[in-house]
Amino acid sequence: MKTQTKWSVALTTYSFRLLVIIAICLSFAPLLPGLGGLLLAAFGYIPAIGQHALSLTGLQQLWLWPGLGQSITLTLFIGVASTLLAALFSFSILQACWRRRGWQHIENLLAPVMALPHVAFAIGFAFLFIPSGFGARIITLLAEVLSGATPGISNWSLIKDKYGLGLVLALTLKEIPFVLFMSMAVLKQLNVEANLRVAQSLGYSRAQAWQKIIFPQWLTKIRFTLFAVMAYSLSVVDVALILGPTQPPPLAVLVWQWLNDADLSNLGKASTAGLLLLLLCITALLSLRLGEWLLTRKWRSWQISGRFALPIVGHSAITVTLLTSLAILPILTLWSLAQRWRFPDLLPSKWSLRFWQQEWAYLWEIIATSAIIALISATIALLLAIILHQHNAHSRYRVPRLLIALPMLTPQLSLLFGIQVASLYLASNYYLLVIWAHAFFALPYIFMALDGPWRSYDQRLDKVGLSLGLSPWRVWWQIKRPILMPAIWLAWAVGISVSLAQYLPTLMLGAGRISTLTTEAVALSSGQDRRVSAIYALLQSLLPFVFYLSAIIASRHCGALARRAPLFAKPLAAKDSVKR
Amino acid sequence: MTFTVSNLNIITSDQQSLFTPLSFHIAPGEVLTLMGPSGCGKSTVLNALAGHPSADFSYHGDYYYQQQRLNDLPAEQRHIGILFQDDLLFPHLNVWENLAIALPNHITKSQRKQQALATLTSLGLPALADKHPEQLSGGQRARISMMRMLLAEPAVVLLDEPFSKLDKSLRADFRHWVFAQTQRLGLPVLMVTHDEADVPANGRCLHWPWPSDPDLASNLTPHKDNNHA
Repeated sequence: MKTQTKWSVALTTYSFRLLVIIAICLSFAPLLPGLGGLLLAAFGYIPAIGQHALSLTGLQQLWLWPGLGQSITLTLFIGVASTLLAALFSFSILQACWRRRGWQHIENLLAPVMALPHVAFAIGFAFLFIPSGFGARIITLLAEVLSGATPGISNWSLIKDKYGLGLVLALTLKEIPFVLFMSMAVLKQLNVEANLRVAQSLGYSRAQAWQKIIFPQWLTKIRFTLFAVMAYSLSVVDVALILGPTQPPPLAVLVWQWLNDADLSNLGKASTAGLLLLLLCITALLSLRLGEWLLTRKWRSWQISGRFALPIVGHSAITVTLLTSLAILPILTLWSLAQRWRFPDLLPSKWSLRFWQQEWAYLWEIIATSAIIALISATIALLLAIILHQHNAHSRYRVPRLLIALPMLTPQLSLLFGIQVASLYLASNYYLLVIWAHAFFALPYIFMALDGPWRSYDQRLDKVGLSLGLSPWRVWWQIKRPILMPAIWLAWAVGISVSLAQYLPTLMLGAGRISTLTTEAVALSSGQDRRVSAIYALLQSLLPFVFYLSAIIASRHCGALARRAPLFAKPLAAKDSVKR
Repeated sequence: MTFTVSNLNIITSDQQSLFTPLSFHIAPGEVLTLMGPSGCGKSTVLNALAGHPSADFSYHGDYYYQQQRLNDLPAEQRHIGILFQDDLLFPHLNVWENLAIALPNHITKSQRKQQALATLTSLGLPALADKHPEQLSGGQRARISMMRMLLAEPAVVLLDEPFSKLDKSLRADFRHWVFAQTQRLGLPVLMVTHDEADVPANGRCLHWPWPSDPDLASNLTPHKDNNHA
């Protein structure tokens, strides 16, 4: 009897360890061929096109390409500017609004605004800001009312402008809700209210206290979020294709174009540029870290120099961010139903369902493909994330968080390049590869979404369960899982939305044979027909909403616990302040 | 330099008064103690005076420092220093920086560090200058927190059960030291506590339920005889 128990305990332990090892392999294995393949290809080893000798031809070709310097400058400008602006505006929004009047509304809006996919946001953003877009229509109308004259369409456009200003603006507006959302967890740890109270008793105004005392603490804790924003803005392809400059485009787009070039001799140039992009990204992240270190460690005397503060624009920043994001869906809907919409009319003069009917048959197939890939890959990634969390909660040899975050912090293109090369040898099932890649990129987001709940789980409950004689497996299944189930549902929805938004992995590993709403939306955004483009963008943003909604409903109805998912719950502070 | 509160009344959202309207003067160097069980509204009184009203209450009454009415001033302009139950040192700053951040604005950058270090030396704690708050003992943190408040040059001091979280052995010592400081600087002090032992000898003390006795408010005799130092 005793040996039997011993055996089963050992079996559980070892089978769990095996699971962990499999999870780690599945999750991080793509990194090795990804980076290795990139390095080899960059130095000329591309067996697929019959190049077996190492050479520097790719580097030479890249070096001689006339637009290279401009493209690099542009890339750095877009990445740095949008990250810094997003950080700056997010902080000023927090300073102006955190837990003050109206904060609850902002907090409730963050999740749906974040759920809006980047591609749909970009397409809607373009509809707002092209010279004949909705923004211009409103300005024209205002000009008419004010001066009586109708100005013509201006030539100046924020979309695909030479300096990437429109792209910077769009990325900034799209990332602000993400930074705000991540800041909420940070500020809850920081005990902001007590800090402010002490600071005010020392004679600091709220603004001064936020900038001198909260800011340095916030900055060190929001580091990884800003890293993710920086890496994303530096290497984004889909949004840059829709909104970015074209001559030359940012580096990531350049790599993408060369990769897709019929001329295979561009492959060497492409891989060298992919490596360059990776190096740029690493440099940018290190500089960001250096900047943080200088501000909070090296030159920190500003923090104690007295009661001074910069003027801020928090209220206008949050208004613009939310208004733009909330305008996207109505604009897309209008365009998808418009048959005739002349400039500068504010509404279409003729409506029609024609385009919906025309696309409908094909749409179903695409929706089904997108949803199936998303469901499978998010479920796999969810299981992997749970295994990793369980392992990290109990083991001394934790999987480092940086490793888990790596897919978020590396340019997708650079990673996928090598994976694609390696995949030629490994498998020929495109669906399998695409699902694996989606799971790989969804994993860090799911892991992050589970992080807070896992940390706040009371470990003593596990101990109680074990002391009651339950096996570790039953403790997990009957105690921990039900308690964490609401969070698991939401993390699953996060994973699904990440998968649904994937552009590069789908196209590169699917070899162009797998179409999802995202790949179609990007492809159609450069086409002539805004109405078709609007339909795809609209569906691309509605599909994740459906899953979020299901997850929210599921999380409210699961488990026997009275405590429900905190998504729409009042923050604790409301309760705390009632206490005297 | 008297601190005056007249007819302070705090009303909950369901129209209940927390206590009968409260009036008192506190002379320079004097300590007035409000005693009461937990939940009676002690901290709410301090929050009201310091300028941190809560949306759950409505407030009535006036507070004056000298002739100046404080009600309409924002918290940071009231010159009211508070010592909380927790030391609430800023966790990202080291000890001397925690002190320097409180110094008045007119003190220049180079002098700020000097003054902070001088303060630490006067406390006999110069070795702590570069330590971080979490490396300090509870008693050390409490002292730094008190000195930080005083460096901001407050006109009035509020003490919110400042001794309750300290070890018994440290408590009496720290208490004497705090009152010695406020007396040396001639600051009016309002303390709330539920521990009888916190009340300084000969100090005035209002027991729960607090009387709104007008005689008490006119009783302005400073108690110079209670020497704790």
